[in-house]
Amino acid sequence: MAKKAQVGRVNSKKVDTCKQATSLILDHLTGELDSKTARLFEEHLMICPDCVAFLNSYKETIKFTRSLSYEDIPSEMKKRIRRFLRDNIG
Amino acid sequence: MISRSHKRQSKSLSGKGQLSGEDERLLIQRVKAGDQKAFEAIFNHYVSRVYRQAFKFVGNEADAEDVVQEVFLLVYRKANSFLGKSEFSTWLYRLTANAALTKLRQRKKEKEVSLDEYMPKFRKDGHHLVRPVVDWTQDIYKHVAMKEFHQIIQQAMDQLSPMDKAVVVMSDMEEMSNPEISNNLGITVQAVKARLHRARLFLRGRLTNHLGYSPT
Repeated sequence: MAKKAQVGRVNSKKVDTCKQATSLILDHLTGELDSKTARLFEEHLMICPDCVAFLNSYKETIKFTRSLSYEDIPSEMKKRIRRFLRDNIG
Repeated sequence: MISRSHKRQSKSLSGKGQLSGEDERLLIQRVKAGDQKAFEAIFNHYVSRVYRQAFKFVGNEADAEDVVQEVFLLVYRKANSFLGKSEFSTWLYRLTANAALTKLRQRKKEKEVSLDEYMPKFRKDGHHLVRPVVDWTQDIYKHVAMKEFHQIIQQAMDQLSPMDKAVVVMSDMEEMSNPEISNNLGITVQAVKARLHRARLFLRGRLTNHLGYSPT
């Protein structure tokens, strides 16, 4: 299921501090910040290496979560579930 | 169901081939009428997908197996409640998510931890408390054992509350939009965003801490 474009913008907010910038990361990543706040967010990043580092590690965490992979269903388990369903349906 | 006499299923219904929308619609109609052969075809086609989806929530084979059993029992017993207003796969995903959430909620509470320890902390003036904030994104690829980091993330996911975990699974693993997650979980988009952000900060904090840096 592909991530769809978000609707509904977040109202303009101040981005004077790291705390404010951190609270906007999620909306920044989904493109939901209004243009003024987006500009203030970018301006904060330009003068704050701490927030750049924080944002990079936040994005990397999402990449890591996304890259978790899982095995296919074991064939023995599939057989067990078939048996279970055969016994419980009908 | 799943009678042994139906071994001559066509390839297209074996779960490995494609199932057209029309084929699927007809199969579901037959399942609604109690046709076990059609149910078997639906099972074959979707069982791997449901298992993987369930595993992402519950994190182990035994619980994932329980969820898959529960989901397909519901498909058979509640097929008539599927009205075709959404895709069958969407309906099936909702059944899977609900069954998995129920399974997670049955677990003992002590697995949940306080997230606060891993949240960023700020000074009174609103700037980061611990500076400099370390950008470990390059360091991490120097580690040979990437599997170790995946384990950390998996363990941290298991420490989230069931609802927080569901939000992360749907957003960061299934790549659903926030409104889709809101719809699936019956919570507001604002609640989805708040839970997602906090859970991601926790996961980030756990990774950062594992690398030897302050998570705050």
